[in-house]
Amino acid sequence: MLTSFVRSGQKVILRIEDTLNKVFSSEQNLLYYHGAMPNFCMWMLFLSGLLLFAYYTPTLEAAYQSVEYITNRLPYGDVIRGIHRYAADAMLLTVILHALRVYFTDRYREYRLIAWYSGVALSVFMLIIGISGYILVWDERSFTIVTKITDFLGSLPFIGSFLASAFLNGDVISNYTMSMSFFLHTGTSFALLVLLWVHYMRISRPVVNVTWAIGSLISGIILLFAGLFPAISGPEAKFTVEPSYFDIDWFYLWLFPLIDTVGNIGAWLVLIAGVTLVTLLPNFVRNHDKEPASVSKDHCVGCRLCSIDCPYEAIYMAPRNDGSKYKEIAVVIDDRCAECGLCVGACNFDAIELPNYKSPQVMDDIRIALQS
Amino acid sequence: MTQAETQSENKLKTRDEVKVAVIACARSVNLEGELSATKLNGVNNCDVIQVPCSGMIQPRMIEAAFNAGADGVIAMGCQIGDCHFREGNKFCRERLLGQRPPMIKKTVPKRRLKGLWMSEVQVDDFKARVEDFKGYVAEQLVEEQKGN
Ligand code: HEM
Ligand code: SF4
Ligand code: SF4
Repeated sequence: MLTSFVRSGQKVILRIEDTLNKVFSSEQNLLYYHGAMPNFCMWMLFLSGLLLFAYYTPTLEAAYQSVEYITNRLPYGDVIRGIHRYAADAMLLTVILHALRVYFTDRYREYRLIAWYSGVALSVFMLIIGISGYILVWDERSFTIVTKITDFLGSLPFIGSFLASAFLNGDVISNYTMSMSFFLHTGTSFALLVLLWVHYMRISRPVVNVTWAIGSLISGIILLFAGLFPAISGPEAKFTVEPSYFDIDWFYLWLFPLIDTVGNIGAWLVLIAGVTLVTLLPNFVRNHDKEPASVSKDHCVGCRLCSIDCPYEAIYMAPRNDGSKYKEIAVVIDDRCAECGLCVGACNFDAIELPNYKSPQVMDDIRIALQS
Repeated sequence: MTQAETQSENKLKTRDEVKVAVIACARSVNLEGELSATKLNGVNNCDVIQVPCSGMIQPRMIEAAFNAGADGVIAMGCQIGDCHFREGNKFCRERLLGQRPPMIKKTVPKRRLKGLWMSEVQVDDFKARVEDFKGYVAEQLVEEQKGN
Protein backbone atom coordinates (compact mmCIF):
# COMPACT_ATOMS: atom_id res chain seq x y z
CA MET A 1 0.00 0.00 0.00
CA LEU A 2 2.80 2.37 0.97
CA THR A 3 4.58 1.53 -2.27
CA SER A 4 1.59 2.30 -4.45
CA PHE A 5 1.03 5.54 -2.54
CA VAL A 6 4.64 6.53 -3.18
CA ARG A 7 4.39 5.45 -6.82
CA SER A 8 1.39 7.67 -7.42
CA GLY A 9 3.16 10.54 -5.67
CA GLN A 10 6.09 10.03 -8.00
CA LYS A 11 3.82 10.10 -11.07
CA VAL A 12 2.33 13.42 -9.91
CA ILE A 13 5.81 14.91 -9.41
CA LEU A 14 6.99 13.65 -12.82
CA ARG A 15 3.94 15.13 -14.54
CA ILE A 16 4.51 18.50 -12.86
CA GLU A 17 8.17 18.37 -13.87
CA ASP A 18 7.19 17.42 -17.39
CA THR A 19 5.01 20.52 -17.61
CA LEU A 20 7.71 22.73 -16.06
CA ASN A 21 10.20 21.37 -18.60
CA LYS A 22 7.89 22.39 -21.43
CA VAL A 23 7.32 25.87 -20.03
CA PHE A 24 10.77 26.71 -18.64
CA SER A 25 13.12 24.06 -20.19
CA SER A 26 14.93 21.56 -18.03
CA GLU A 27 17.76 24.02 -17.29
CA GLN A 28 15.33 26.30 -15.47
CA ASN A 29 13.08 23.67 -13.93
CA LEU A 30 12.51 24.71 -10.32
CA LEU A 31 12.05 21.15 -9.16
CA TYR A 32 15.46 20.17 -10.47
CA TYR A 33 16.89 22.66 -7.98
CA HIS A 34 14.97 21.25 -5.04
CA GLY A 35 18.06 21.26 -2.79
CA ALA A 36 19.55 24.47 -4.14
CA MET A 37 16.42 26.55 -3.50
CA PRO A 38 16.43 26.21 0.32
CA ASN A 39 20.16 26.80 0.18
CA PHE A 40 19.64 30.05 -1.73
CA CYS A 41 17.01 31.18 0.80
CA MET A 42 19.41 30.34 3.60
CA TRP A 43 22.09 32.63 2.19
CA MET A 44 19.53 35.39 1.78
CA LEU A 45 18.74 34.91 5.47
CA PHE A 46 22.39 35.03 6.49
CA LEU A 47 22.92 38.20 4.48
CA SER A 48 19.80 40.04 5.64
CA GLY A 49 20.39 38.69 9.15
CA LEU A 50 23.88 40.18 9.16
CA LEU A 51 22.45 43.62 8.38
CA LEU A 52 19.80 43.29 11.10
CA PHE A 53 22.48 42.08 13.50
CA ALA A 54 24.36 45.35 13.04
CA TYR A 55 21.54 47.39 14.59
CA TYR A 56 19.79 44.91 16.87
CA THR A 57 20.19 45.05 20.67
CA PRO A 58 19.26 41.90 22.60
CA THR A 59 18.01 43.40 25.86
CA LEU A 60 14.50 43.69 27.28
CA GLU A 61 14.67 47.49 27.32
CA ALA A 62 16.22 48.06 23.93
CA ALA A 63 15.22 45.11 21.71
CA TYR A 64 11.81 46.42 20.65
CA GLN A 65 13.11 49.94 20.00
CA SER A 66 16.09 48.66 18.01
CA VAL A 67 13.77 46.68 15.75
CA GLU A 68 11.54 49.74 15.38
CA TYR A 69 14.61 51.80 14.51
CA ILE A 70 15.61 49.29 11.83
CA THR A 71 12.09 49.24 10.41
CA ASN A 72 11.22 52.92 10.46
CA ARG A 73 14.45 54.91 10.38
CA LEU A 74 17.14 52.88 8.71
CA PRO A 75 17.11 53.39 4.93
CA TYR A 76 15.62 50.22 3.45
CA GLY A 77 15.54 48.75 6.95
CA ASP A 78 11.93 47.70 6.46
CA VAL A 79 12.87 45.95 3.22
CA ILE A 80 15.72 44.08 4.88
CA ARG A 81 13.43 43.03 7.71
CA GLY A 82 10.78 41.91 5.23
CA ILE A 83 13.34 39.92 3.27
CA HIS A 84 14.49 38.22 6.47
CA ARG A 85 10.92 37.33 7.39
CA TYR A 86 9.79 36.01 4.02
CA ALA A 87 13.06 34.32 3.10
CA ALA A 88 12.53 32.27 6.26
CA ASP A 89 9.08 31.23 5.07
CA ALA A 90 10.42 30.57 1.58
CA MET A 91 13.20 28.44 3.00
CA LEU A 92 10.79 26.25 4.92
CA LEU A 93 8.48 25.99 1.94
CA THR A 94 11.29 24.93 -0.38
CA VAL A 95 12.66 22.52 2.23
CA ILE A 96 9.25 20.85 2.37
CA LEU A 97 9.22 20.66 -1.43
CA HIS A 98 12.73 19.20 -1.37
CA ALA A 99 11.85 16.61 1.27
CA LEU A 100 8.65 15.60 -0.54
CA ARG A 101 10.50 15.24 -3.81
CA VAL A 102 13.30 13.09 -2.44
CA TYR A 103 10.75 10.99 -0.58
CA PHE A 104 8.31 10.41 -3.42
CA THR A 105 10.99 9.82 -6.04
CA ASP A 106 12.58 7.21 -3.79
CA ARG A 107 15.76 9.17 -3.23
CA TYR A 108 15.83 8.96 0.55
CA ARG A 109 17.01 5.54 1.70
CA GLU A 110 19.81 2.97 1.49
CA TYR A 111 22.99 4.80 0.49
CA ARG A 112 21.22 8.14 1.02
CA LEU A 113 20.49 7.62 4.74
CA ILE A 114 22.99 10.22 5.95
CA ALA A 115 21.29 12.85 3.82
CA TRP A 116 17.87 11.82 5.12
CA TYR A 117 18.79 11.80 8.81
CA SER A 118 20.69 15.07 8.60
CA GLY A 119 17.72 16.49 6.69
CA VAL A 120 15.39 15.66 9.57
CA ALA A 121 17.83 17.33 11.98
CA LEU A 122 17.99 20.38 9.69
CA SER A 123 14.21 20.78 9.86
CA VAL A 124 14.17 20.57 13.67
CA PHE A 125 16.93 23.18 13.83
CA MET A 126 14.95 25.41 11.49
CA LEU A 127 11.99 25.26 13.84
CA ILE A 128 14.20 26.36 16.75
CA ILE A 129 15.65 29.21 14.68
CA GLY A 130 12.19 30.34 13.60
CA ILE A 131 10.64 30.34 17.07
CA SER A 132 13.61 32.08 18.70
CA GLY A 133 13.60 34.65 15.89
CA TYR A 134 10.08 35.70 16.80
CA ILE A 135 11.19 36.20 20.42
CA LEU A 136 13.87 38.71 19.41
CA VAL A 137 11.32 41.32 18.30
CA TRP A 138 10.06 41.53 21.90
CA ASP A 139 6.52 42.47 21.14
CA GLU A 140 3.48 40.93 22.86
CA ARG A 141 3.73 37.86 20.68
CA SER A 142 7.35 37.35 21.79
CA PHE A 143 6.22 37.53 25.41
CA THR A 144 3.56 34.88 24.84
CA ILE A 145 6.08 32.66 23.06
CA VAL A 146 8.53 32.90 25.97
CA THR A 147 5.93 32.02 28.59
CA LYS A 148 4.48 29.19 26.52
CA ILE A 149 7.87 27.73 25.64
CA THR A 150 8.90 27.87 29.30
CA ASP A 151 5.77 25.92 30.28
CA PHE A 152 6.22 23.59 27.32
CA LEU A 153 9.80 22.74 28.29
CA GLY A 154 8.91 22.59 31.97
CA SER A 155 6.16 20.06 31.34
CA LEU A 156 8.69 17.36 30.49
CA PRO A 157 9.29 14.86 33.29
CA PHE A 158 12.77 14.79 34.94
CA ILE A 159 14.59 17.25 32.66
CA GLY A 160 11.72 19.72 32.31
CA SER A 161 12.68 22.21 35.01
CA PHE A 162 16.30 22.12 33.90
CA LEU A 163 15.34 22.88 30.29
CA ALA A 164 12.95 25.63 31.32
CA SER A 165 15.53 27.44 33.42
CA ALA A 166 18.16 26.92 30.75
CA PHE A 167 15.82 28.55 28.26
CA LEU A 168 14.98 31.46 30.59
CA ASN A 169 18.64 31.56 31.52
CA GLY A 170 17.57 31.99 35.14
CA ASP A 171 14.33 31.72 37.09
CA VAL A 172 12.54 34.67 35.53
CA ILE A 173 12.41 36.46 32.20
CA SER A 174 15.41 38.77 32.11
CA ASN A 175 18.05 40.17 29.81
CA TYR A 176 19.69 36.77 30.06
CA THR A 177 16.59 35.30 28.47
CA MET A 178 17.11 37.63 25.53
CA SER A 179 20.75 36.59 25.26
CA MET A 180 19.66 32.96 25.23
CA SER A 181 17.11 33.54 22.49
CA PHE A 182 19.66 35.51 20.52
CA PHE A 183 22.11 32.66 20.92
CA LEU A 184 19.50 30.04 19.97
CA HIS A 185 18.68 32.08 16.87
CA THR A 186 22.19 32.77 15.60
CA GLY A 187 24.04 29.79 17.08
CA THR A 188 21.56 27.31 15.64
CA SER A 189 21.79 29.13 12.30
CA PHE A 190 25.51 28.50 12.17
CA ALA A 191 24.91 24.91 13.26
CA LEU A 192 22.89 24.57 10.05
CA LEU A 193 26.14 24.93 8.14
CA VAL A 194 27.69 22.07 10.07
CA LEU A 195 24.62 19.92 9.46
CA LEU A 196 24.71 20.80 5.78
CA TRP A 197 28.30 19.64 5.64
CA VAL A 198 27.04 16.31 6.98
CA HIS A 199 24.10 16.49 4.55
CA TYR A 200 26.48 16.68 1.57
CA MET A 201 29.00 14.24 2.97
CA ARG A 202 28.15 11.35 0.65
CA ILE A 203 27.08 13.46 -2.30
CA SER A 204 29.65 14.25 -4.98
CA ARG A 205 29.22 17.72 -6.45
CA PRO A 206 25.88 18.58 -4.78
CA VAL A 207 23.78 21.03 -6.77
CA VAL A 208 23.84 23.89 -4.25
CA ASN A 209 23.38 26.86 -6.57
CA VAL A 210 20.23 27.91 -8.35
CA THR A 211 20.39 29.50 -11.80
CA TRP A 212 20.30 33.29 -12.16
CA ALA A 213 16.73 33.08 -13.38
CA ILE A 214 15.52 30.97 -10.47
CA GLY A 215 17.45 33.09 -7.97
CA SER A 216 15.87 36.23 -9.39
CA LEU A 217 12.44 34.63 -9.29
CA ILE A 218 12.77 33.64 -5.63
CA SER A 219 14.21 37.04 -4.66
CA GLY A 220 11.44 38.75 -6.60
CA ILE A 221 8.69 36.83 -4.84
CA ILE A 222 10.25 37.50 -1.44
CA LEU A 223 10.59 41.22 -2.24
CA LEU A 224 7.01 41.31 -3.44
CA PHE A 225 5.77 39.87 -0.16
CA ALA A 226 8.04 42.20 1.81
CA GLY A 227 6.45 45.11 -0.05
CA LEU A 228 2.84 43.95 0.10
CA PHE A 229 2.83 42.65 3.66
CA PRO A 230 5.54 44.56 5.54
CA ALA A 231 6.99 42.74 8.54
CA ILE A 232 5.87 44.77 11.52
CA SER A 233 5.87 44.32 15.29
CA GLY A 234 2.87 44.15 17.56
CA PRO A 235 2.69 46.33 20.68
CA GLU A 236 5.82 46.22 22.81
CA ALA A 237 5.83 43.51 25.49
CA LYS A 238 5.20 44.87 29.00
CA PHE A 239 5.27 42.84 32.19
CA THR A 240 2.25 44.77 33.40
CA VAL A 241 0.03 44.14 30.37
CA GLU A 242 -1.62 40.85 29.46
CA PRO A 243 -0.41 40.19 25.86
CA SER A 244 -3.18 39.89 23.32
CA TYR A 245 -1.45 40.35 19.96
CA PHE A 246 -0.44 37.06 18.32
CA ASP A 247 -0.27 37.23 14.54
CA ILE A 248 0.58 33.72 13.45
CA ASP A 249 3.27 32.60 11.01
CA TRP A 250 1.99 29.14 10.17
CA PHE A 251 5.41 28.03 8.99
CA TYR A 252 7.19 28.45 12.30
CA LEU A 253 4.63 29.14 14.99
CA TRP A 254 2.16 26.26 14.52
CA LEU A 255 3.45 24.75 17.74
CA PHE A 256 1.49 27.31 19.80
CA PRO A 257 -2.01 26.62 18.49
CA LEU A 258 -1.05 22.95 18.83
CA ILE A 259 -0.17 23.45 22.51
CA ASP A 260 -3.44 25.36 23.00
CA THR A 261 -5.38 22.45 21.50
CA VAL A 262 -3.73 19.33 22.90
CA GLY A 263 -1.78 20.68 25.86
CA ASN A 264 1.95 20.66 26.53
CA ILE A 265 2.36 16.91 26.90
CA GLY A 266 0.10 16.30 23.91
CA ALA A 267 2.23 18.66 21.81
CA TRP A 268 5.38 16.88 22.92
CA LEU A 269 3.87 13.56 21.90
CA VAL A 270 2.85 14.93 18.50
CA LEU A 271 6.30 16.44 17.99
CA ILE A 272 8.21 13.34 19.06
CA ALA A 273 5.93 11.00 17.11
CA GLY A 274 6.24 13.17 14.00
CA VAL A 275 10.03 13.38 14.08
CA THR A 276 10.34 9.67 14.86
CA LEU A 277 8.00 8.73 12.05
CA VAL A 278 9.85 10.83 9.48
CA THR A 279 13.22 9.56 10.71
CA LEU A 280 12.08 5.96 10.42
CA LEU A 281 10.48 6.29 6.97
CA PRO A 282 13.46 4.58 5.29
CA ASN A 283 12.85 1.55 7.53
CA PHE A 284 9.33 0.96 6.22
CA VAL A 285 10.62 -0.23 2.87
CA ARG A 286 12.62 -3.39 2.43
CA ASN A 287 16.03 -2.74 0.95
CA HIS A 288 17.01 -4.98 -1.91
CA ASP A 289 20.06 -7.20 -1.54
CA LYS A 290 23.20 -5.27 -2.14
CA GLU A 291 25.17 -6.00 -5.28
CA PRO A 292 27.79 -3.26 -5.39
CA ALA A 293 30.22 -2.61 -8.21
CA SER A 294 33.45 -4.57 -8.08
CA VAL A 295 36.88 -3.88 -9.49
CA SER A 296 39.02 -6.37 -11.41
CA LYS A 297 42.64 -6.25 -10.26
CA ASP A 298 43.83 -7.53 -13.62
CA HIS A 299 42.12 -4.85 -15.67
CA CYS A 300 42.26 -1.69 -13.57
CA VAL A 301 44.91 0.74 -14.81
CA GLY A 302 44.32 3.31 -12.08
CA CYS A 303 43.04 6.02 -14.41
CA ARG A 304 40.75 7.48 -11.70
CA LEU A 305 37.87 8.15 -14.08
CA CYS A 306 35.44 5.97 -12.13
CA SER A 307 36.28 7.61 -8.81
CA ILE A 308 35.70 11.04 -10.35
CA ASP A 309 32.33 10.09 -11.81
CA CYS A 310 30.89 8.16 -8.86
CA PRO A 311 27.98 10.35 -7.67
CA TYR A 312 27.99 9.02 -4.11
CA GLU A 313 31.67 9.14 -3.18
CA ALA A 314 31.78 5.35 -3.12
CA ILE A 315 35.13 4.89 -4.89
CA TYR A 316 38.57 5.83 -3.68
CA MET A 317 41.95 5.18 -5.24
CA ALA A 318 44.30 3.04 -3.16
CA PRO A 319 48.03 2.70 -3.76
CA ARG A 320 48.89 -0.75 -5.05
CA ASN A 321 52.00 -2.76 -4.38
CA ASP A 322 51.09 -6.11 -5.83
CA GLY A 323 53.79 -5.93 -8.47
CA SER A 324 51.48 -4.33 -11.02
CA LYS A 325 52.94 -1.66 -13.25
CA TYR A 326 50.09 0.66 -12.24
CA LYS A 327 50.44 2.80 -9.14
CA GLU A 328 46.81 2.88 -8.01
CA ILE A 329 43.69 0.77 -8.00
CA ALA A 330 40.04 1.74 -7.62
CA VAL A 331 38.34 0.48 -4.45
CA VAL A 332 34.55 0.46 -3.98
CA ILE A 333 33.10 1.11 -0.51
CA ASP A 334 30.22 -1.35 -0.71
CA ASP A 335 27.84 0.41 1.70
CA ARG A 336 27.97 3.66 -0.22
CA CYS A 337 27.46 2.11 -3.63
CA ALA A 338 24.19 2.96 -5.36
CA GLU A 339 24.61 0.28 -8.04
CA CYS A 340 24.12 2.96 -10.67
CA GLY A 341 26.84 1.90 -13.07
CA LEU A 342 28.26 5.39 -13.62
CA CYS A 343 31.68 3.94 -12.89
CA VAL A 344 31.10 1.31 -15.59
CA GLY A 345 30.31 4.06 -18.08
CA ALA A 346 33.52 5.83 -17.10
CA CYS A 347 35.82 2.84 -17.38
CA ASN A 348 37.34 2.03 -20.73
CA PHE A 349 39.04 -1.16 -19.54
CA ASP A 350 36.21 -3.43 -18.39
CA ALA A 351 37.80 -3.10 -14.97
CA ILE A 352 34.76 -2.18 -12.89
CA GLU A 353 31.45 -3.95 -13.26
CA LEU A 354 28.03 -4.33 -11.69
CA PRO A 355 27.53 -8.04 -10.95
CA ASN A 356 24.08 -8.02 -12.60
CA TYR A 357 24.91 -5.89 -15.61
CA LYS A 358 28.40 -6.77 -16.74
CA SER A 359 29.33 -4.57 -19.67
CA PRO A 360 30.41 -7.48 -21.96
CA GLN A 361 26.97 -8.96 -21.29
CA VAL A 362 25.25 -5.69 -22.22
CA MET A 363 27.26 -5.61 -25.47
CA ASP A 364 26.24 -9.19 -26.23
CA ASP A 365 22.62 -8.27 -25.56
CA ILE A 366 22.94 -5.42 -28.04
CA ARG A 367 24.39 -7.69 -30.72
CA ILE A 368 21.82 -10.42 -30.17
CA ALA A 369 18.96 -7.92 -30.25
CA LEU A 370 20.10 -6.40 -33.52
CA GLN A 371 20.62 -9.73 -35.19
CA SER A 372 17.21 -11.10 -34.30
CA MET B 1 29.31 -8.26 -45.98
CA THR B 2 31.84 -5.78 -47.31
CA GLN B 3 31.80 -2.07 -46.60
CA ALA B 4 30.57 -1.31 -50.13
CA GLU B 5 27.70 -3.75 -49.86
CA THR B 6 26.55 -2.33 -46.55
CA GLN B 7 26.48 1.12 -48.02
CA SER B 8 24.62 0.24 -51.19
CA GLU B 9 22.11 -1.49 -48.96
CA ASN B 10 21.87 1.55 -46.69
CA LYS B 11 21.14 3.76 -49.61
CA LEU B 12 17.95 1.93 -50.38
CA LYS B 13 16.56 2.10 -46.85
CA THR B 14 13.25 3.79 -46.28
CA ARG B 15 12.37 5.32 -42.95
CA ASP B 16 10.54 2.13 -42.02
CA GLU B 17 13.49 -0.10 -42.82
CA VAL B 18 15.98 1.93 -40.81
CA LYS B 19 17.24 -0.09 -37.87
CA VAL B 20 17.52 1.69 -34.56
CA ALA B 21 19.04 0.52 -31.29
CA VAL B 22 18.03 2.35 -28.13
CA ILE B 23 20.34 1.89 -25.16
CA ALA B 24 18.06 3.10 -22.42
CA CYS B 25 18.10 3.88 -18.74
CA ALA B 26 15.59 1.55 -17.10
CA ARG B 27 14.24 4.48 -15.07
CA SER B 28 13.50 6.78 -17.97
CA VAL B 29 10.51 6.06 -20.27
CA ASN B 30 8.49 3.26 -18.69
CA LEU B 31 8.49 0.46 -21.25
CA GLU B 32 6.63 -2.11 -19.22
CA GLY B 33 4.30 -3.89 -21.67
CA GLU B 34 5.82 -1.95 -24.59
CA LEU B 35 8.48 -4.49 -25.51
CA SER B 36 8.37 -7.93 -27.12
CA ALA B 37 11.76 -9.24 -26.03
CA THR B 38 13.84 -6.27 -27.17
CA LYS B 39 11.51 -5.05 -29.95
CA LEU B 40 9.57 -1.87 -29.28
CA ASN B 41 5.86 -2.43 -29.98
CA GLY B 42 4.32 -0.19 -32.60
CA VAL B 43 7.64 0.91 -34.10
CA ASN B 44 9.38 -1.10 -36.80
CA ASN B 45 12.98 -2.19 -36.40
CA CYS B 46 13.60 -0.67 -33.02
CA ASP B 47 15.44 -2.63 -30.34
CA VAL B 48 15.69 -1.42 -26.76
CA ILE B 49 18.42 -2.59 -24.42
CA GLN B 50 18.02 -1.38 -20.85
CA VAL B 51 20.76 -0.50 -18.35
CA PRO B 52 20.35 0.81 -14.76
CA CYS B 53 21.32 4.37 -15.71
CA SER B 54 22.30 6.20 -18.90
CA GLY B 55 25.55 7.07 -17.11
CA MET B 56 26.49 3.41 -17.53
CA ILE B 57 26.44 3.59 -21.32
CA GLN B 58 30.00 3.11 -22.53
CA PRO B 59 31.13 4.51 -25.88
CA ARG B 60 31.99 0.92 -26.75
CA MET B 61 28.37 -0.13 -26.32
CA ILE B 62 27.40 2.47 -28.91
CA GLU B 63 30.12 1.22 -31.25
CA ALA B 64 28.91 -2.34 -30.69
CA ALA B 65 25.40 -1.35 -31.74
CA PHE B 66 26.61 0.27 -34.99
CA ASN B 67 28.89 -2.68 -35.71
CA ALA B 68 26.02 -5.10 -35.18
CA GLY B 69 24.04 -3.39 -37.93
CA ALA B 70 22.19 -0.50 -36.34
CA ASP B 71 21.71 2.44 -38.73
CA GLY B 72 21.00 4.76 -35.83
CA VAL B 73 21.65 4.59 -32.11
CA ILE B 74 19.82 6.43 -29.36
CA ALA B 75 21.27 6.77 -25.87
CA MET B 76 18.35 7.50 -23.60
CA GLY B 77 18.26 8.76 -20.03
CA CYS B 78 15.90 10.75 -17.84
CA GLN B 79 15.30 14.47 -18.26
CA ILE B 80 18.55 16.35 -17.70
CA GLY B 81 18.37 17.47 -14.08
CA ASP B 82 16.37 14.46 -12.95
CA CYS B 83 18.84 11.57 -12.93
CA HIS B 84 17.94 9.15 -10.13
CA PHE B 85 21.67 8.80 -9.57
CA ARG B 86 22.09 12.56 -9.82
CA GLU B 87 24.61 12.90 -12.65
CA GLY B 88 24.36 9.87 -14.94
CA ASN B 89 22.50 11.52 -17.81
CA LYS B 90 24.71 14.63 -17.68
CA PHE B 91 27.80 12.48 -18.04
CA CYS B 92 26.19 10.48 -20.83
CA ARG B 93 25.31 13.68 -22.70
CA GLU B 94 28.84 15.00 -22.25
CA ARG B 95 30.21 11.78 -23.72
CA LEU B 96 27.87 12.05 -26.71
CA LEU B 97 29.13 15.61 -27.21
CA GLY B 98 32.74 14.48 -26.93
CA GLN B 99 33.31 16.46 -23.75
CA ARG B 100 33.95 13.67 -21.29
CA PRO B 101 36.21 10.63 -21.34
CA PRO B 102 36.06 7.89 -22.43
CA MET B 103 35.65 9.43 -25.88
CA ILE B 104 33.53 8.00 -28.65
CA LYS B 105 35.66 6.76 -31.59
CA LYS B 106 35.88 9.06 -34.62
CA THR B 107 34.66 6.21 -36.84
CA VAL B 108 31.23 6.27 -35.17
CA PRO B 109 28.76 8.14 -37.41
CA LYS B 110 27.91 10.92 -34.94
CA ARG B 111 25.02 12.23 -37.01
CA ARG B 112 23.22 8.95 -36.62
CA LEU B 113 23.76 8.94 -32.87
CA LYS B 114 21.26 10.73 -30.67
CA GLY B 115 20.82 11.48 -26.99
CA LEU B 116 17.22 11.46 -25.77
CA TRP B 117 16.23 12.62 -22.30
CA MET B 118 12.74 11.65 -21.26
CA SER B 119 10.91 10.79 -18.08
CA GLU B 120 8.98 7.71 -17.10
CA VAL B 121 5.64 9.19 -18.14
CA GLN B 122 6.59 10.16 -21.72
CA VAL B 123 5.91 6.86 -23.49
CA ASP B 124 3.99 8.22 -26.49
CA ASP B 125 6.40 11.10 -26.89
CA PHE B 126 9.23 8.60 -26.93
CA LYS B 127 7.75 6.56 -29.79
CA ALA B 128 7.16 9.69 -31.83
CA ARG B 129 10.75 10.79 -31.28
CA VAL B 130 12.06 7.39 -32.41
CA GLU B 131 9.99 7.66 -35.60
CA ASP B 132 11.37 11.16 -36.24
CA PHE B 133 14.87 9.92 -35.67
CA LYS B 134 14.37 7.05 -38.12
CA GLY B 135 13.33 9.54 -40.78
CA TYR B 136 16.37 11.64 -40.01
CA VAL B 137 18.68 8.61 -40.20
CA ALA B 138 17.20 7.64 -43.56
CA GLU B 139 18.02 11.14 -44.87
CA GLN B 140 21.48 10.98 -43.37
CA LEU B 141 22.18 7.68 -45.11
CA VAL B 142 21.30 9.29 -48.41
CA GLU B 143 23.50 12.31 -47.60
CA GLU B 144 26.39 10.08 -46.61
CA GLN B 145 25.97 8.17 -49.88
CA LYS B 146 26.16 11.42 -51.87
CA GLY B 147 29.21 12.52 -49.93
CA ASN B 148 31.14 9.42 -50.98
C1 HEM C 1 18.40 23.41 5.21
C2 HEM C 1 17.68 22.65 4.48
C3 HEM C 1 18.21 21.80 3.37
C4 HEM C 1 19.08 22.13 2.37
C5 HEM C 1 19.73 23.47 2.11
C6 HEM C 1 19.27 20.93 1.56
C7 HEM C 1 20.05 20.87 0.45
C8 HEM C 1 20.31 19.74 -0.28
C9 HEM C 1 21.12 19.67 -1.47
C10 HEM C 1 21.81 20.85 -2.14
C11 HEM C 1 21.17 18.38 -1.87
C12 HEM C 1 21.92 17.82 -3.08
C13 HEM C 1 20.98 17.62 -4.23
C14 HEM C 1 21.72 17.04 -5.41
O1 HEM C 1 22.74 17.62 -5.82
O2 HEM C 1 21.30 16.01 -5.92
C15 HEM C 1 20.38 17.61 -0.94
C16 HEM C 1 20.17 16.25 -1.01
C17 HEM C 1 19.31 15.54 -0.19
N1 HEM C 1 18.50 16.07 0.81
FE1 HEM C 1 18.51 17.99 1.46
N2 HEM C 1 18.53 19.91 2.10
C18 HEM C 1 17.85 20.40 3.19
C19 HEM C 1 16.96 19.72 3.99
C20 HEM C 1 16.57 18.40 3.77
C21 HEM C 1 15.49 17.74 4.45
C22 HEM C 1 14.57 18.38 5.48
C23 HEM C 1 15.46 16.46 3.98
C24 HEM C 1 14.54 15.32 4.35
C25 HEM C 1 14.16 15.02 5.53
C26 HEM C 1 16.52 16.32 3.02
C27 HEM C 1 16.83 15.16 2.36
C28 HEM C 1 17.78 15.04 1.36
C29 HEM C 1 18.14 13.80 0.72
C30 HEM C 1 17.60 12.41 1.05
C31 HEM C 1 19.10 14.11 -0.27
C32 HEM C 1 19.80 13.14 -1.21
C33 HEM C 1 19.12 13.19 -2.56
C34 HEM C 1 19.86 12.39 -3.60
O3 HEM C 1 20.85 11.73 -3.27
O4 HEM C 1 19.42 12.40 -4.75
N3 HEM C 1 17.17 17.52 2.90
N4 HEM C 1 19.86 18.47 0.01
S1 SF4 D 1 37.94 3.71 -14.52
FE1 SF4 D 1 38.47 1.53 -14.63
S2 SF4 D 1 40.67 1.49 -15.00
FE2 SF4 D 1 40.16 3.57 -14.32
S3 SF4 D 1 40.54 3.50 -12.11
FE3 SF4 D 1 38.37 3.01 -12.41
S4 SF4 D 1 38.29 0.76 -12.54
FE4 SF4 D 1 40.42 1.36 -12.78
S1 SF4 E 1 27.86 1.78 -9.14
FE1 SF4 E 1 29.88 2.72 -9.29
S2 SF4 E 1 29.50 4.90 -9.65
FE2 SF4 E 1 27.58 4.01 -8.87
S3 SF4 E 1 27.68 4.36 -6.65
FE3 SF4 E 1 28.53 2.30 -7.03
S4 SF4 E 1 30.71 2.63 -7.20
FE4 SF4 E 1 29.76 4.65 -7.43
